Amino acid sequence: MVTYILKRMISIIPVFLFATLLTTGMIHLSPVDPAEAYLTAAHIQPTDEILAQKRQEFGLDQPFFIQYVNSIMKICQLDFGISYVSNKPVWDEVTNRMPATIQLALGSILIAVLISVPLGFLAGVKKNSVFDHFSRLLSFIGASIPSFWFGYLLIFFFSVKLDLFPVEGTGTWQHLVLPSITLAFPLIAIYTRLLRASVLENIEEPYVLFARTRGIKEKTIMGKHVFRIAISPMITGLGMNLGKLLTGTIIVEAVFSWPGFGRYFIEAIFNRDIPVIQCYVLIAASLFIISNLLVDMIQMYIDPRISRKEGYKQ
Amino acid sequence: MFNKINSRNVLKTLALILIVSSVLLGCANTSDDVSSSKGTNDNMLTFAWARDIGEMNPHVYNPSQLFAQSMVYEPLVSYQEGGELKPHLAESWDISKDGKEYTFHLRENVKFSDGTSFNAEIVKKNFDTILNHIDIHSWLGFLSKIDHTEVIDEYTFKLTLTEPYYPAIQELAVVRPVRFLGESGFPENGDTSKGVVEPVGTGPWVLDEYKVDEFAIFKRNENYWGELPKEEKIKVKIIPDAETRVLAFEKGEIDLIYGEGNISLDAFKQLESTGNYETSISEPVATRQLVINSKKEQLSDERVRQALHYAFNKEALVEGITSGYEEKADYILPANFPYTKDIDAKVIDYDVEKAKSLLEEAGWVLPKGKTIREKNGQLLEVELMYDSAEAIQKTMAEVLQSEWAGIGVKLNIVGVELTEQVQRFKDNKFDINFFSNYGAPYDPHTFLNIVASEGFGFNEAISAYPNKDELLKQIAEVTKTTDEEKRQQLYSAILTSIQDQAAVIPISYIKKTAIYQKDVTNFTFPANRDEHPFTGISIE
Repeated sequence: MVTYILKRMISIIPVFLFATLLTTGMIHLSPVDPAEAYLTAAHIQPTDEILAQKRQEFGLDQPFFIQYVNSIMKICQLDFGISYVSNKPVWDEVTNRMPATIQLALGSILIAVLISVPLGFLAGVKKNSVFDHFSRLLSFIGASIPSFWFGYLLIFFFSVKLDLFPVEGTGTWQHLVLPSITLAFPLIAIYTRLLRASVLENIEEPYVLFARTRGIKEKTIMGKHVFRIAISPMITGLGMNLGKLLTGTIIVEAVFSWPGFGRYFIEAIFNRDIPVIQCYVLIAASLFIISNLLVDMIQMYIDPRISRKEGYKQ
Repeated sequence: MFNKINSRNVLKTLALILIVSSVLLGCANTSDDVSSSKGTNDNMLTFAWARDIGEMNPHVYNPSQLFAQSMVYEPLVSYQEGGELKPHLAESWDISKDGKEYTFHLRENVKFSDGTSFNAEIVKKNFDTILNHIDIHSWLGFLSKIDHTEVIDEYTFKLTLTEPYYPAIQELAVVRPVRFLGESGFPENGDTSKGVVEPVGTGPWVLDEYKVDEFAIFKRNENYWGELPKEEKIKVKIIPDAETRVLAFEKGEIDLIYGEGNISLDAFKQLESTGNYETSISEPVATRQLVINSKKEQLSDERVRQALHYAFNKEALVEGITSGYEEKADYILPANFPYTKDIDAKVIDYDVEKAKSLLEEAGWVLPKGKTIREKNGQLLEVELMYDSAEAIQKTMAEVLQSEWAGIGVKLNIVGVELTEQVQRFKDNKFDINFFSNYGAPYDPHTFLNIVASEGFGFNEAISAYPNKDELLKQIAEVTKTTDEEKRQQLYSAILTSIQDQAAVIPISYIKKTAIYQKDVTNFTFPANRDEHPFTGISIE
């Protein structure tokens, strides 16, 4: 298992390199000149002289490959440069806003798990029951409704009409409820269906039949045997969605005025604050990579067959 | 197959996730609760704004917000209704005959919010730090013309320019960078470009509490030299999303939404129609214009440009697209700016027949069975560029396309990103473009400066004007002349000539909107486009 993890760790490196190559390359391809973007953001009249000076300062006059190597060296030291707009280190700006985003993401994972696990499980066990129909309806809505609109609906009903929660801002747990639900809703849709399908698949397995013939109670079979195995794809899904969750916060944070990292990113886009955009894309990419690795590790922990299979391959 | 330890582990992992999440939620629960309920506090006005107020430094730009800077920091001169320039921190000023020396007599009873007094020394100190970074501030004309500044006595400050420049007084009214930070706000080296120690100003408001991206609370400056604000506090809630602002307003968490584009016209109209709120629309703050590139062959003839002006129903266009929140513009600058009151330019009314005959006169004829006019085998086909993110520009472009098709002009419309739009304008790679001027307190001289400067788009766009050289000369002269009457004559001549030759077509006057709860009284729009609107405001 240790060698497997080590191997996976090493395989992260090329993926990471590719991600940095992509971000550096994209900035090169975009029609926006970073030096000019900086000057515009700083309200300085861009003359040819200042432009040339800034390009030199940002290293934009160097060949692409050198720029790329330089940016990797800096990124390895968590130096993402200085924000064009605030003139502060990008990494500080980002880490200041991280806790709020993480809070929101955890809140929505919590809600997603609390709702989709029982719902998906029951929908699977009691196929075609009320639970099943309800979960199907919920999943259809969750998968198709745009999250910003769902956010407005929640605000309109639960905040403006019923006055149960504040419209926006932070401070109390009430503030967290509506944005977390908004962010969790599409996840609930996915996980419920995932768990249901997985439960149905497992019920057909020979081990269930075997357990039944042994006279084990149906409750025990479902709760102890089927559930444990059926939950595994959901954990994969949860991990795969961590990156998605982060990018999902962009819209939710804007709608609910949540002072997180996604909202900061939107503003960076409007201001063409390139170092911030680059940092965001890299963090999102890293999160995808790391969460995938984490999921694999958890999977191995839960289902030892996976690591054994890996072992056979070697 | 599976031992019990594994199943316990699954549960443990899940439990761990739950515990970590609840702990984090718990943290949120215990953190300070700042007025989560209704924003309508007895003596606090809650105001929604899209962006964080930024660093409260009077000498920096983006991302600091103009309205917030103007709450804390004050100018020597203030810009009032109709472009009138009134004494503010300067009680009066003398201008030497040659128009180069400005002597300001400062108000004597003014204190900064920390109790220190406002005097000529601190004015000079502020000017010095600004002038040390002239590369950032050179866009503001008079700053780059300052020869030196001096302290004459405790309350007399003198500014000497290298050449006469009449807008100096008007430019002193801008929100940044010529406003004044108190001594204790300066960092040790006196350079404010990298930040201030604390936001100490002379203004009616003091920053009291601030959480990045969440809110800022300003409290009344009890030492204020002028009339004390009626409200004790102003809370600025940062709500980036326009629809959320509206929902928060409907719920009563917000007392006032004010600005340009801070509320969608649809939402504004809908809230207005409920009758539950007060609404208000400002005087024109700028003009939405079409700039026609006379370098383009098809557009080089004045008659063609005029025909385009005649050929669309401006009133219906503006009314229809902006629901009446903008007003049909007859002149390229609104008449409530200095020197723009009596411009003699010809007002163009909708007249399709006139447009057609102008095109015929110019030699553009409509061949039988075709819909596009031609001249010497060339089609009358031009392109209009608009900012793809701006709904109003896009819709206007579409309407113009269909209106101009009626007179045999093929208009292609292209939506581009804002930076690209600006770049193409500067590089003269456009046929027709949207533009709007800076507004008060920058105009009319800033607009003319943009027209005259190379590399901004206008200078090249008016290339086919036979009197272009003459115009440029007049524009250079207008800021230098010390004769008030001559200045007015020059402005009239320049603005009339630019408009009559139709390379700049006025479309509509842009206005600000405000919507507020019924208990908010005495709301007025500031005459200065960038100032805060809280003077005199109160909640009953």
